[in-house]
Amino acid sequence: MSGATSKVELHFGATTDVGKVRTVNEDSYLAAPPVFVVADGMGGHSGGDVASRIVVEEFAELAGSTHDPRSGAAAVAELLERCQSRINQYAIEQRLGGADRWYAGTTAVVALLVEDDGTPKWLLANLGDSRVYRLADGVLDQVSVDHSVVQELADAGTITRDEMSTHPERHVVTRALGGPDDAEADFFLLPLPAAERLLLCSDGINGMIDDATIEAILDNAGDPRDAADRLVAAALEAGGRDNATAVVIDVVGLRTDDASDAAPLTVSLEQKLGALP
Amino acid sequence: MTELETTAARRSFRPGGWYAVFGDHATVLLPPSEKPRVAALWELVDDGAGFDEVLDALVSGGLRELPGFVLVSAEDGTTQVVLRGAARALFTADGEEVALDGSTATTWVERTLSGVTRSVIELEESDETMELGVSVGLVRVSRVEEPATRPPAAVVLLPEEVPAEEPQEAGVESEDLTGFESGEPEPEPEPEPEPVLSDEQLTERFPAPAAWAPVAAPDPGDHDGMTGAAGIEPDDFARQHPGIPGQQPAPSVTSRPVARLVLSSGETVEVDRAVLVGRAPEARRFGSHEQPRMITVPSPHQEISSTHLEVRPGSGADHGSAVVTDMGSTNGTVLVQPGLPPEDLQPGIAVQLIPGAIIDLGDGVTIQVTNP
Repeated sequence: MSGATSKVELHFGATTDVGKVRTVNEDSYLAAPPVFVVADGMGGHSGGDVASRIVVEEFAELAGSTHDPRSGAAAVAELLERCQSRINQYAIEQRLGGADRWYAGTTAVVALLVEDDGTPKWLLANLGDSRVYRLADGVLDQVSVDHSVVQELADAGTITRDEMSTHPERHVVTRALGGPDDAEADFFLLPLPAAERLLLCSDGINGMIDDATIEAILDNAGDPRDAADRLVAAALEAGGRDNATAVVIDVVGLRTDDASDAAPLTVSLEQKLGALP
Repeated sequence: MTELETTAARRSFRPGGWYAVFGDHATVLLPPSEKPRVAALWELVDDGAGFDEVLDALVSGGLRELPGFVLVSAEDGTTQVVLRGAARALFTADGEEVALDGSTATTWVERTLSGVTRSVIELEESDETMELGVSVGLVRVSRVEEPATRPPAAVVLLPEEVPAEEPQEAGVESEDLTGFESGEPEPEPEPEPEPVLSDEQLTERFPAPAAWAPVAAPDPGDHDGMTGAAGIEPDDFARQHPGIPGQQPAPSVTSRPVARLVLSSGETVEVDRAVLVGRAPEARRFGSHEQPRMITVPSPHQEISSTHLEVRPGSGADHGSAVVTDMGSTNGTVLVQPGLPPEDLQPGIAVQLIPGAIIDLGDGVTIQVTNP
């Protein structure tokens, strides 16, 4: 990294586990600053792990890159398109080879540190039901919005948030890489003080442990490597029914003296509470 | 057949993947990947925009985001051409042939020519030999020729201009038909089809998402391999745009700004897309081509929320003007419109902005709304 981005340093940890039930780990991850990716492959006969690996291979291109939010979003969109065509090309080859019901797809969550007029920011992208969470001031916040049937049903008010975790179609995604439709990702742009710690994970984490547990682990583990390990361990302990992958990234050394919007980070809790009505 | 169709088309083209926007004063060609830009450019070109205006719109998002394009504009006997990317063009100007190739330049190739009598622009490799005619409109092409040298097989017009096909029109006089056909080049014998799957075949082999479910469902209740896509109509879950149901939504990025914001700091911002203003604004769930503008304002007393408000081009009844929405800010937003009493914005409710309006975010930060 160079230029103003050198003001911040990224500390990170990544852990993945096949889980206790499945035999193949179809999750893949990439941790190559300034880019981080989690991809949750789906499909039988090694389709899923091929698909998620393609995503990681392609995004490795962004390792060591410097982007502004706009060029970063364009680069991510282009790489996702390339993944889409590579996965579909692979699927066609498999089908022509006789595996006529072969299919492959994958989710993808991407975090790319970009530089906006000298200010580093997180550019995030999401396709499918893997998630990006952030932890700021000890409070967990889910940033990405799943592209899943249950999320759409909840948004439409058809089911409640609580019913999402038990709904029979909770694993069905509405957007993903691979498949006949163009997959358009959702993008997010976050200022760094609002995301001191970022978590990218597959649904083998958030499907097994609830947000309160995730928050407690992220808040208590000092080292991001410990945080990632503990999240995966907790998911295994809760049953480990799916591949579980966690990538935890800390932003360290964020200079707060010249950023007026970072002022709240330096005031004490008492000051903050006192300022409230 | 109507008169429109027998009028000689100005240009002929071969079908393909590129988008061609033909206007009275300008022609814009864009690669298939630039689909999201096409509608806005059509609006501009059809309104009679010339070279400068169209070029401005093309590069407004930065050149890096535009892998290739061709812009041709002819006025008063002078033809201006800009090529970027894979496109190639051959012009006959004052009797001389001028060949231009966009891939030879890292930015673009620009040329001003006079006395252009003929032009051929090749955009992509294609086996297509069918020539169609067009004067003004939006079509997908692989090659464009002007003037149309071959008798066009058909005239393509925008759907709104195509008269509804009347049954009696089927009875075309046979003489016309013969004459029409003889004017056409003898079609080449069909080349052996490449072993490439057609769209239909692809759809069959890679069927609708319904058939895209796991091969063998593992025992129920198990997480294993359950993640999959089901019989979902993607349209059901398309990103929701605000606006009036049944009305065409405004594009999230407009070709021309609908308003200008003047901040109390002196900074000015054009509203041609969503603008987010706050102490440390966050943008959520945007598409890769509609990245909002982010305006950070100081707030020493913490009166302004991190993402305080949004100003964006309005849709539906607000089309053509800007609307402001308080994003659930802690301390609220006061809007003063000319001739109206100050109003507190309701969180999440968009209010149309009149030029001259003042938006007060607190902490001494105000935004004045002016015409662009």
